[in-house]
Amino acid sequence: MKNVRIWFEKDGTSRFISHLDLNRCMSRGIHRSGIPIWYTEGFNPHPFLTFALPLSLGVRGKRESMDIKLVDEMPEKEIIERLNPCLPEGIRVFAVTDPVMKPGRISYARYQLVLTAEHHSPSQILQAVQKIMDMPQIMVEKKTKSGIKEMDLKKNLGEYQVTVGQECVFLRILLPAGSSNNVNPQLLLDAIKRYEGIELYADITRLDLYNEEREPFC
Amino acid sequence: MRVTDQIERILTKVQKPGRYVGGELNSVIKNKEEVEVRFAFCFPDVYEVGMSHLGMKILYGQFNSLPYIWCERVFAPWVDMEEIMRDKHIPLYGLESGDPIKDFDFIGFTLQYELSFTNVLNMLDLAGVPLRSEDRKELWPLVVAGGPCACNPEPIADFIDLFFIGEGEEVDLEVIDLYREYKKKNATKQEFLKAAAQIEGVYVPSLYTVDYNPDGTIASVTPKDGAPATVKKRLIMDLDHLYFPEKFVVPSIEIVHDRAVAEIFRGCIRGCRFCQAGFLYRPVREKSPGVIDRQCHDLCNNTGYDEVSLSSLSSSDYTRIEGLLEELLSWSEKEKVSISLPSLRVDGFSDELMSKLKTVRRSGLTFAPEAGTQRLRNVINKNVTEEELMETCSTAFSGGWTTVKLYFMIGLPTETLDDVAGIAQLGQKVVNAYYANPNKPKGKAVKVTVSASSFVPKPFTPFQWEPQDTIETLHQKQKHLRDSITSKKINCNWHDADTSFLEGVFARGDRKLCKVLEKAQKRGCHFDGWGDFFRLDTWMEIFEECGVDPAFYANRRRSFEEILPWDHIDYGVKKEFFINECKKAYENATTGNCREVCSHCGAACWKGGICVEKRADMV
Repeated sequence: MKNVRIWFEKDGTSRFISHLDLNRCMSRGIHRSGIPIWYTEGFNPHPFLTFALPLSLGVRGKRESMDIKLVDEMPEKEIIERLNPCLPEGIRVFAVTDPVMKPGRISYARYQLVLTAEHHSPSQILQAVQKIMDMPQIMVEKKTKSGIKEMDLKKNLGEYQVTVGQECVFLRILLPAGSSNNVNPQLLLDAIKRYEGIELYADITRLDLYNEEREPFC
Repeated sequence: MRVTDQIERILTKVQKPGRYVGGELNSVIKNKEEVEVRFAFCFPDVYEVGMSHLGMKILYGQFNSLPYIWCERVFAPWVDMEEIMRDKHIPLYGLESGDPIKDFDFIGFTLQYELSFTNVLNMLDLAGVPLRSEDRKELWPLVVAGGPCACNPEPIADFIDLFFIGEGEEVDLEVIDLYREYKKKNATKQEFLKAAAQIEGVYVPSLYTVDYNPDGTIASVTPKDGAPATVKKRLIMDLDHLYFPEKFVVPSIEIVHDRAVAEIFRGCIRGCRFCQAGFLYRPVREKSPGVIDRQCHDLCNNTGYDEVSLSSLSSSDYTRIEGLLEELLSWSEKEKVSISLPSLRVDGFSDELMSKLKTVRRSGLTFAPEAGTQRLRNVINKNVTEEELMETCSTAFSGGWTTVKLYFMIGLPTETLDDVAGIAQLGQKVVNAYYANPNKPKGKAVKVTVSASSFVPKPFTPFQWEPQDTIETLHQKQKHLRDSITSKKINCNWHDADTSFLEGVFARGDRKLCKVLEKAQKRGCHFDGWGDFFRLDTWMEIFEECGVDPAFYANRRRSFEEILPWDHIDYGVKKEFFINECKKAYENATTGNCREVCSHCGAACWKGGICVEKRADMV
């Protein structure tokens, strides 16, 4: 038995597939592809797979991964070639590696937000973003399992860059991610709405994941 | 699908955006410049329901197998999406291209239940297409419809240009081919419809004039422009050589029936007197086990599904069921695929069948005795005895099953409160049978669910002349059922009587209901089959405004002599047969099934299927 990590991107229409549904799509895709995956040994055997970190509905992912167990050897190239035709539009496997880090070590994620607003120009959006980032405290409401909590977003902001495009603003930012402290980039938009009164639309992409030492998850 | 920026922005605001983006595995993308006919296949309900429908998968596959047709899927957007689409003026679009369906050649609806009629109109409205056939002057988009509810097309006759009566695989393509020819010669819509009406199985409602008697019943239906006096349904005799898709579009989000499905036969031998499907799809035609086995295997290979369901009206009536299961099990276990067999009959559940099903996934068992007493089961010709039910349950309990679901109907003709109480008693007997069984699973309690739907008389059944119970009577019977249940092991539920009433109105309605539907759509009625949106008050107001009495359709007893709104549609089964069956029902007399004896219903006119097979009484 061999553990392997399947790397894929989740883009296009497939970003509207929820985490639960993604699990189903992958199971079916793997089942159909005929790669020698290990099935659980219960009454209803199903392919065993675990995802590194769920992606929010609507968010694109550039370097997503899931771990599976193989009962037989199969070259990386063949796994990729067999899997891709069995997956929905927008999900594309691009690498298969040995799992190096445990998913539990994931501590940060880097996102790209493409910001637009119906009634505001890119330079106005830029101003609003910078104003928020410079505040000493950014209070937002975070939904948790135990209810809605006020939290200070400021403490959680990692390094970021903002640039202005022709019709939009690009924001790249590092935020805490993982099982212990996860910050949804959507909270930034909530803050801008709360303090600046601008309703932004963001096309969000998760670019990569990192461990505590800010080394890329691999 | 190429999601436009505008749609993309909406999608972050709605539930389950995966319903609206397409891009699923096996969905078909073509170049629109290279096709002659664009067909929008519309299912008038939400994605998860429509995507579960086998008929759509068959026709989608078949249409797209031809290079000149591009068939796309369209579903009713859920209320949150509809609100935003109306607000932002986004017209209803096809899931494959994202193009507005108002520019397509055909907008085709499948009519699976009467309560989806408002959704049909609402989808046309969302598409930006005039609702009434007469207001659409151009040749296209042509609005067409098929499916079981097309058997009484009259309540939506004003909106649909052309109905397909019967099975669609052949007639749909004949109509599409005729359309290509007429489109090429720049013909008018009228010219095309007139020619299409000559194709067997095509009903063009605008070519028929309906006149009424002073009491509101129909005086006459007169065809014009050479349209046939009666439209005969189409059916396909040889299922082995009929098109069946090798692959399904695999939804990326979870749907209601998320599995591969293969048909094992069409039609039903039984002749239960309440069951419309049992008469519409006559005669029984089976598919060969080898063909079914290959189709199941192909589907699993091409979709990745790990479950395949064998579809028919009564799967244990398939003559070669055990051989088929053996063939399927030869590969399914190895490939980790499970086989499910819905629609089992109480009398068709054998030890052997059970042992084969046990090797695959085990869900709860569901049986449909339909009525609580033997007398009433005889009335409806559901030829299942209490002994058979008890025997079957014992077999199941010994085999380790502990949940049994029993389906019944209330409001059946001749039903008394004693018959209703009989439902509770039958449930209790099943509970008792469990505890009396020495081989029952150790340490587990039994759970019996008794589900009571309200009987709705349907066209093309022996009960098509019967009055439906009023809402008040149904409520009274539901209460009586609840009060008759004394065990906590029995869980009881029933259908909402209000929606059954509306279903009853439209099931046997005529063209006077078109204006009611039109008004209802404008008033915002949609998803009437979903309890959360159904508003009887609104409907009653609309009936009143239109001067239409809904009880005339639902609760009135018709005479055998009355011209029924669907009399000019012919499904092969003769009216005399239905009259005779109705009379027998009132005498508590049963009729044997097609395999035992031929009852001369008329379906033999198709010269095939069970009607020409050797039967015990013929040897």
